[in-house]
Amino acid sequence: MALSCLTRALRSLTVSQNTLLSSQCELGALVSTTVAQCRGFLTTASLEQNKTLWKQREKYTIKPIGMKKTGGRDHTGRIRTHGIGGGHKQRYRWIDFQRLHYEEGKEGKPFEEKVVEVRYDPCRSADIALVAGGSRKRWIIATENMQAGDTIKTSAVIGRMAVLANEGDAHPLGALPVGTLVNNLEIQPGKGSEYIRAAGTSGVLLRKVNGTAIVQLPSKQQVQVHETCMVTVGRVSNIDHNKEVIGKAGRNRWFGVRPSSGLWQRKGGWAGRKIKPLPAMKNYVNLPSITAQ
Amino acid sequence: MFPETARCVTAALSPFSKTAVLKELRRLSAHGGVCRLQPRRHFAVSRRLTAKVPPPRKPRERVPIPGLEMINYGERMHYVPGLAKPVNPDWEKDFKDPRYYKSPPLDKMPLSKEKPCYVFNQRSSLLEGVPQALCLTKTKLIPGLPPQLLSAVENPANQIPDQDERVQNAIKHARFWDTTEERPDKTKYSNTLLNNLMHLCATLQSSHPAIGRRMLAEKYSLAATWKRGEDLFQIRGQNGLLHSCMDPLPVVSGREEVAETADHVMQSLYPVSPTIDLQKIYVYKEEMNNTGFRDDYPYPHVHTLYILDGADTNFSLRREQFRAKILMFAFGNALARAHKLYGTQPQRVLDCPITVQAVGTNGRMFQFLVFQLNTTDFSGDDGIKNQAWLDEDAELYDFAKVRPLIKKKQVKVPAGLAGYKPEIFNKFLAMYLHGAV
Repeated sequence: MALSCLTRALRSLTVSQNTLLSSQCELGALVSTTVAQCRGFLTTASLEQNKTLWKQREKYTIKPIGMKKTGGRDHTGRIRTHGIGGGHKQRYRWIDFQRLHYEEGKEGKPFEEKVVEVRYDPCRSADIALVAGGSRKRWIIATENMQAGDTIKTSAVIGRMAVLANEGDAHPLGALPVGTLVNNLEIQPGKGSEYIRAAGTSGVLLRKVNGTAIVQLPSKQQVQVHETCMVTVGRVSNIDHNKEVIGKAGRNRWFGVRPSSGLWQRKGGWAGRKIKPLPAMKNYVNLPSITAQ
Repeated sequence: MFPETARCVTAALSPFSKTAVLKELRRLSAHGGVCRLQPRRHFAVSRRLTAKVPPPRKPRERVPIPGLEMINYGERMHYVPGLAKPVNPDWEKDFKDPRYYKSPPLDKMPLSKEKPCYVFNQRSSLLEGVPQALCLTKTKLIPGLPPQLLSAVENPANQIPDQDERVQNAIKHARFWDTTEERPDKTKYSNTLLNNLMHLCATLQSSHPAIGRRMLAEKYSLAATWKRGEDLFQIRGQNGLLHSCMDPLPVVSGREEVAETADHVMQSLYPVSPTIDLQKIYVYKEEMNNTGFRDDYPYPHVHTLYILDGADTNFSLRREQFRAKILMFAFGNALARAHKLYGTQPQRVLDCPITVQAVGTNGRMFQFLVFQLNTTDFSGDDGIKNQAWLDEDAELYDFAKVRPLIKKKQVKVPAGLAGYKPEIFNKFLAMYLHGAV
């Protein structure tokens, strides 16, 4: 097919002289047959987009992956989010958010892992920890007092009695005592944690109601999730992140934050302190709750 | 120009129409002056090339149902719209053509096995370092070199005349003089230093004839297989410089000490498994044991293995991982020799334990190792264990700076060689002379 396109294109470009002359005399079917339809063809190399090829890797690795910065631009090339651009080069360390990720051949059993290293991650506010268990290593979000050499436990067992939660361990919500500080919350069991991952944040397990658990997120919003959702105990590392003083404009630029427009714009209804009741509890479990009537 | 292009664009957006082309040709020919022999090329007509490419749509999955086959136009021998495309059976050449050979998938290779094998090669960096290597090789570690080794060098007959001065000259040659540039790089100076030190030790051949019964070999490939517990392990690769001898090294520890190692308790690496950071393969040859030399090699006994750290510029190992590498390769050499002498069946106790020495260096820091293989039975953690004497992080000199380090107008470290330690070279010489004294 590519060959036929090429031949068609070339044929349209090179129309011989005698054909033209004859066309002047007989403007009939000759012209239409000789000049084929063609839309032109490219003479450059392949113009496929490789903007997101760096994130198409399928196999997990602990090696840092080189990132391409977007500058706030989307696929059309226009800025979709202002204020992003520049900054120090960063490499992405692939974090395994699914804490209950069993190793091959050892499914179903609670396992322990050893913390090898806790280090800074340029891609997020929290610190990350390299943990090794069995024959594999992975990156996870570090909790507050995690240090190299610690042993952390992950188990999916929900016993009748609540487990004495050690910081850094991961248990299902149903196994933890009410009132524990938790982080890296899974909303749907097995999906991987999507909430409470920022530096210094922690949620509170408020109560456990027949098969579900209610957790208060750092924004004081309450969510009801299935009790088998995995969660890590403790506060996320780097707790003084919100007290950090940037100090100068240049430091913001190192982080990749571009200056906002200096134009004074009248603030609308979105600005100012709002005092309103908490939004209703969000339910992520498809169970009829007892309170529903 | 522009009305022409506009007309061209409108004409070409729809397929070429006779009238449009005719009009243009008429216009061109009537123009008089400019007569183009070719119709205008429509470079402006193309879609936006930097737009998002829609993801390649996966073709509809076609499930072959055995009873219902699609009617295809294969029998009619020409394309018929509406009928399915005939699927021809894959044709393969009946001979093997090396230009067009596609290797089969891993599970269909002839040597593929169900049980995996963990391979340690020269690029492996063990997470736990020396404790993991000890666990894999069932070894007891004794810090410091064996005393009988060091006592041999204290005898002045076994020392080189003008030893300190000559060693310092050797270091200076390797670090400063061996280049036309400002300073030689690490791979070069570590190699040169090792060669110089070995040459110095070899000058004692006149008084110690046994040194003449040795041979150096480089870039030889080692292979050894052993079974530790439930898992199969292999050690493969080119390790470094091998100093081999016609006579075996004397045994370092006697039978009583060997029997005492049975009481030693191996350190557990829990929760990390000892197979971490090893390459896991399913395609391997069982019983792969190869010392790297043929059977009639005149120097079959391994004396010392010299391993350089900066040899591979793509990566370098940390000290702990480097020590583990030295230990593993010393063990590998000893095991390959043991398999050749005593066969591949696990032996609880070797009649004559095999001793192998290893020296690792990065140009300044030396790691000395003496390894004694007492057993090839690695099934459990109990029983007689192998022994390893390790002297770690022996710095031959502190600094060898081309330009002095000056902080706040004060010379902190002078240029040239600083902090030379003669006792480290004594250890090097002791290891060289072991068995020849």
